[in-house]
Amino acid sequence: MRKVIAAVAGLALVVGGVAMTGGTRTATAQGGGTIEAEVKYNGAAVIDKLKVNKDVEKCGTEAMIEKIVVGGTKGLANAVVSVAGAKGAATAKKASVDQHGCKFVPHVTAMTAGELELKNSDDILHNIHTYSTANPSINKAQPKFKKVMTEKFEKPEIIKLTCDVHSWMLGWVAVMPHPFFGVTDGNGVTKIENVPPGKQTVEVWHETLGKQTKEVEVKAGQTTKVAFEMKK
Amino acid sequence: MRVAVVIGLLALGGLPLSASPSFAQAGDANAGKVVYGRRCVGCHGVKGDGKGAAAELLTPAPRDFTSGIYKIRSTANKIPTDKDLFDVITYGMPGTSMPPWSVLPEKDRWNLVAYVKSFTPEKFKEAPKKQGLPKEVASSAESIKRGKEMFEAIECNKCHGADGRADGPSRPELKDEWGQPIAPANLTKRWTFRGGASRVDIATRLATGILGTPMPSFIDSVEKPDDIWHVTNYIASLGPESPSYATLLTASAVKDAIPDDPNAEFWRKIPVQHVPLMGQVIVDPRNFNPAIDLVSVRAAWDDKEIAFQLTWDDPTLSQPDGKQVSADVIALQFPPSVGTGTERPYFLMGDTSDAVYQLRWEHGKGVVEATANGPGKIVPLEGSEATGKGVFQNGQYRVVIKRPLASKGASRLTFRPGVFTPIAFQAWDGGAGETGTKMSLTSWYYLRLEEPQSNRRFVIPPVVALMTLAAMLLVVRAANRRR
Repeated sequence: MRKVIAAVAGLALVVGGVAMTGGTRTATAQGGGTIEAEVKYNGAAVIDKLKVNKDVEKCGTEAMIEKIVVGGTKGLANAVVSVAGAKGAATAKKASVDQHGCKFVPHVTAMTAGELELKNSDDILHNIHTYSTANPSINKAQPKFKKVMTEKFEKPEIIKLTCDVHSWMLGWVAVMPHPFFGVTDGNGVTKIENVPPGKQTVEVWHETLGKQTKEVEVKAGQTTKVAFEMKK
Repeated sequence: MRVAVVIGLLALGGLPLSASPSFAQAGDANAGKVVYGRRCVGCHGVKGDGKGAAAELLTPAPRDFTSGIYKIRSTANKIPTDKDLFDVITYGMPGTSMPPWSVLPEKDRWNLVAYVKSFTPEKFKEAPKKQGLPKEVASSAESIKRGKEMFEAIECNKCHGADGRADGPSRPELKDEWGQPIAPANLTKRWTFRGGASRVDIATRLATGILGTPMPSFIDSVEKPDDIWHVTNYIASLGPESPSYATLLTASAVKDAIPDDPNAEFWRKIPVQHVPLMGQVIVDPRNFNPAIDLVSVRAAWDDKEIAFQLTWDDPTLSQPDGKQVSADVIALQFPPSVGTGTERPYFLMGDTSDAVYQLRWEHGKGVVEATANGPGKIVPLEGSEATGKGVFQNGQYRVVIKRPLASKGASRLTFRPGVFTPIAFQAWDGGAGETGTKMSLTSWYYLRLEEPQSNRRFVIPPVVALMTLAAMLLVVRAANRRR
């Protein structure tokens, strides 16, 4: 009996996942709700600057280490918003990070467990050096002729990405156990769609400002707004 | 048991019996703990956390076994094989404070492997996954050429420098897993490679990377698999596997004018003599981790002057800022005069009763002659006649210091051919914060000015030969006559 339920649930999830990639409308019609999260930070942006002594034609003469990026309406960018404890199948879209201008673009990537595509569009040597505990940490050279590498991250955790050649390069990959997540844009806003209706805990994670959670009631076919204010 | 293993291996057939005498053995962690307590705690600490009593003085820091991170692996995953750990214990880590423990019985070393692993049993649950290497490519001019191309394409220079002297632009930024500054290897000094100097060792490090450091894995990051070997062959071509140190220094007698230019062709013809330097650890402040470990010396003299060409690696041309960065300096030290006995001034810049005479070259200032009566008691001599010229290129200084043979006054040494003249060296890497007594040095060596070889050697032997021939002919003739 249990097996049957599990199988049905699994099937539902797969259908849900497929539907999601197909388009949000169908998914909403199937009974999911939308969470619109707005994350604010009432402090100043923290962007460390560093003089660059190499590869200036690619990296520029001044590197920026974006520890806290704040938009015009005090919106906090680069925060990962997710539905805590949710379950769901992997998204079909392969996540991708580019090393461009000696920066990880995007600065924060969220993905479901699986493959991550690492691009090097700089035409110079970078090395992907990850700091992780659940997944094996890697340190692989990516010379200029190696435009794309694919790495697997199987376990949910937040992984730091660095490059030893360009010590200011910093990126984050949030590997999620479910597809209900988003990363805030320059205005501190992100939307999570197809969230199962009911009481849900929304969690925000930011590399410098830490975590916060809030309870929300998700209703089918409706958008639930939730606001966070992060503190130091 | 051992016999069974051997028979087993033979039965499998074709399994190469490696040159290493040791088969992997299952060690006994409890027995290893006893050996550890006697031999290892001083640096690695009772808890294995790398915080032993001596740890704060050591760079690189002793391994923290509780991290389960091991630099030297022959594996594609993070787990070293028992043999990897055994080899590090047996051969030590060249260029660090970890000595080779081959003096310990082999059994003890296997027991140590078991004990070291017991600090992080959870990390060793996963089995080591051997890193395969492409089929070995023998070194050849062609392979070295390809290796150099690939070295440049994969930008090894970013950390290791264009000529491999650890002076790449990323050097100042490099940090290890614990956030501590870490220096890239000087590829021209293979004998300091942590995981060994052989070509297989180099290829393995390239393939696997060095865990816990910025050195990444290159096995999938070269154009063709063979390139691992080509780059290896190129790196191996940058320097000897082990250094040959001089014991007695010789200044060659020359007839040509001695050039000031350290890059002049002249110096290539003068034999090079390598001198190892140690950190100064006698007086405070001490230098436990000297930056300069080797000075290469070429010396020449003619009837007027003597000159020294000194070459050493230094990753940065230091611009003194009065705080962290001091000037890069090298000093040649002699007694003020050479007596008939064996007595010499104290090698560490003399003392109050016996002074030393120094030729000191400082980047940006040139050469001064000085007298010293102990560290910090250096007095420049008036009316210096010494000259010097230095160049800095790709992480290396080359300096020529010159002086007339004859002295002016009692404070300066007069150089004479055929005399064993005491000589010592001191060096400071200002960029590494070395100044004052924080320096590298040698104790006394001897310098001998090679006797000038006159043209008589081309005249006398033929004359003697001719005379001998004539004498023989006379004898033969006399003998014939008697008959």
